Amino acid sequence: MRKLTTLAAMIAAVAALGAATSTASTGRSSGTLKGAGSSFVAPLVAQWQANYKSSDIQYNPIGSGGGIAAITNRTVDFGASDAPLSSDQFKACKGCVQIPWALSATAIPYNIPGLNGRLHLNAGVLADIYLGKITNWNSGRIKALNRGLSLPDLKITPVYRSDNSGTSYNFTDYLANASAAWKSKVGVGVNANWPSGIGAPKSNGVAAAVGQTKGAVGYVDVAYTLKNHLSFAAIQNKSGKWALPGLRGIKSAAALITKVPASGELSIVNPPKAAKYKNAYPISTFTYVILPTKTSSATELRHFVFWALTNGQQYGPRLLFVPIPKVVLSYSEKTLNKVKS
Amino acid sequence: MSSIATPQAAARAAELRRRGRFRPGDAVLHGLTLAAALAAVALLGLIAWKVTDQARPAIHDFGLGFLTTKTWDPGTRQIFGAAAFLFGTAVTSLGALLIAGPLSIAIALFLTELAPRWLRGPIGALVEMLAAVPSVVVGLWGILVMGPFVADHFEPFLKRTLGFIPLFRGDPSIFGLLPAILVLTIMITPIVSSVSRELFLGVPRDLKEGALALGTTRWEMIRGVVFPYARSGIAAALILGLGRAVGEAIAVTQVIGGNVAIHWSLFQPGDTLASRIASQYQGASSAKQVSAIAYLAVILLCFSLVANIGAQVIVRRFAGRHPVAR
Repeated sequence: MRKLTTLAAMIAAVAALGAATSTASTGRSSGTLKGAGSSFVAPLVAQWQANYKSSDIQYNPIGSGGGIAAITNRTVDFGASDAPLSSDQFKACKGCVQIPWALSATAIPYNIPGLNGRLHLNAGVLADIYLGKITNWNSGRIKALNRGLSLPDLKITPVYRSDNSGTSYNFTDYLANASAAWKSKVGVGVNANWPSGIGAPKSNGVAAAVGQTKGAVGYVDVAYTLKNHLSFAAIQNKSGKWALPGLRGIKSAAALITKVPASGELSIVNPPKAAKYKNAYPISTFTYVILPTKTSSATELRHFVFWALTNGQQYGPRLLFVPIPKVVLSYSEKTLNKVKS
Repeated sequence: MSSIATPQAAARAAELRRRGRFRPGDAVLHGLTLAAALAAVALLGLIAWKVTDQARPAIHDFGLGFLTTKTWDPGTRQIFGAAAFLFGTAVTSLGALLIAGPLSIAIALFLTELAPRWLRGPIGALVEMLAAVPSVVVGLWGILVMGPFVADHFEPFLKRTLGFIPLFRGDPSIFGLLPAILVLTIMITPIVSSVSRELFLGVPRDLKEGALALGTTRWEMIRGVVFPYARSGIAAALILGLGRAVGEAIAVTQVIGGNVAIHWSLFQPGDTLASRIASQYQGASSAKQVSAIAYLAVILLCFSLVANIGAQVIVRRFAGRHPVAR
C-alpha cells in the first residue's frame, strides 16, 4: 500500500516536472533576465512579463531592501526599489545606476468600524498620529477635517513596516516634508525609529494588521490597497484640495519634476501650493530599477528596460501607475546607455 | 575486552586485521567522514568569523554599551543598541518555555504511560506534525486567527483576573509579546515533547514495574522512577526548545509588533534579536546599520553557544548523580 502511494507520488512528480520543462521550452525567449525587489512595482512587472517577447523576465517581489541587496551581490540582473539608493548603498553596489521606471502612490488605509463616510486627513494630523501626539479618533483635530462623520471614541493604532521598505521611504519623506517635528525627531528612510504604534512585515503584513486591528491606520501602495478592498483616506494637499491616490492626483504631483539630477533621485511628495499642482496627491513616488553598469547581459537588459520605459508604460494606468513624464523618460534613456558589457 | 572462543576464530580475526590494514575502502571512508566532521567545524568557524568581521565597526563604535542602549534609530541619528531586543528575546523565549515545558512533559507522559495503546500513535504523530508547519504559516495564523482571539478574549480575560500584576495591564492588541510567546510555544512544544517521549520510553520497564510492585500509585511511580531517570534528558530537551525559541525569526516578526521599547506589559509590542535581524538586514540603508545588525547576530551566536554548553554541563552534572541509572 505504502509502496503504491510512493510510486504514485513519484509519477505525479515526474509528470509535473515534464509539464514545467515543456512550458519553459515553449517560451519565446532568446534569454532570461532575473530581477528582484520592490513589491510595489510587482503588479506592473507582471504585465511586462506577459507582454515582453524578447527575453524571459523572472521577477521576485522580495521588497525594495531585498532588491538592493540582490543587485549589490549580483545574484540578479536587475534590482527594483521604491527608495533611491543611499550613498552607502551606491558605494556598496560598485558601479550601479538607478533609473526611474514607474510612478505611483502610497495610500493611507484605515480601520474604523461603522464609519459613515470616507476619512479625511492632512499631513500635520498624520505626522502627529505617527508621533503619538494624537491618540484617539475623536480628537478635535481629526473632527475638524471630517465634519459630518461620527468619529468613535477609539484608540488610534498607527501601523508601520518593520522591514526596510520603499513605501516607508515615501511615507517618511512626505511626513518630513510636511512636519518639522517629524523631520527633526524621526527623519526620512526605508526604516525609522518609530515613536509609536506597531510594526508588521511587508505590504501584506501591514494590510493584515490594519484589517485586523480596530482603530488602526497604515500606509500601503495603492495597487495593493485597492486589490485588498481596504478603505483609504482622502489627503489634503498644499493647495487645500482633497486628493485621492488616483491617476489624476499622481500625474499632477509628477509635474513637480522639471529637471532630473545626476543621481536620478526624485522626490514628488507634497508639491507646493500652485494651480498646476491643485489636484496633486501628496504621497506619490517614482520607483527605480537598479542596473549594474558592467554586465554580461547588457544588451538584453537595455532592450528590456527601454521597452518598459516606453511601450511598457501603457500597462500602467489600469494598475494605477502613471506613465512617466517626458523629462524623466529622456533622463532614463540616457542613463540606460551607461549599461555596457 | 573481547574474549576469543576458539583458536580458529582468533586466526581469522588476525587475518582480517592484517588484510584490513591495506584496504583502500576503509581509508576512503575514514577520510570522507573526517572531512565531513571537519567541514562542520570549519563552517561554524567561518560563520562566526564572517559575522564578527561585519560587526567590527559597530563593536568599535558602540562597545559593550550596545548591550544597555535602548535606542535603535536607523534614521538621522544612527544610534543603535540591543537592550530592547535582549529584553524581548528573554521575555518571549522564557515565557514560551514556561508554558511549553510542563505542557510537553504532560503530553509525553500521557503518550508513554497513560494513553490507551491505540491512541498513542495518532496523537504522537499529530503533535510531531506541528513541527512540520512552516514558521511563516504559523505566523500568518498568528495574525489572522490567534491574534484576534487573543485581543478580543484572552487578553481581556487576563486583564480582568490578573490585572493587578503589571504584566497583564494595558490595551489588548493582536500584536505584542504575548502573541509572540504563544506562537513560540506552539513551535517548541513538538520538539520538547517528542524528545521527552523518547526519554520516558527509555526508562527500563523493570524499574517501573518494581515500583508498581512496591505498591506505589502511578503518579508516585512517575515521580520516583520516570522523572529521576529522565531528568538530565528533560533539561537538555528544554534547552533545545529554548534555543529554538531564541532563534525563531519569521513567525515572531509577524506577531510581535516590531517596536523598540521595553514594556512590562505583555500586551505591548516589542522585538527580539532574531526578528530584528530578519526584518532589517536586507536593504539596510547605512553601513553602520548593517554592522549593528551583525553585532546583534554576534550576540545571538554567543547566546546559542552558551546555551548549548549549558545544556551539556547540565546533562553531565545530572548524569553524574543519577539515582537509578549508572
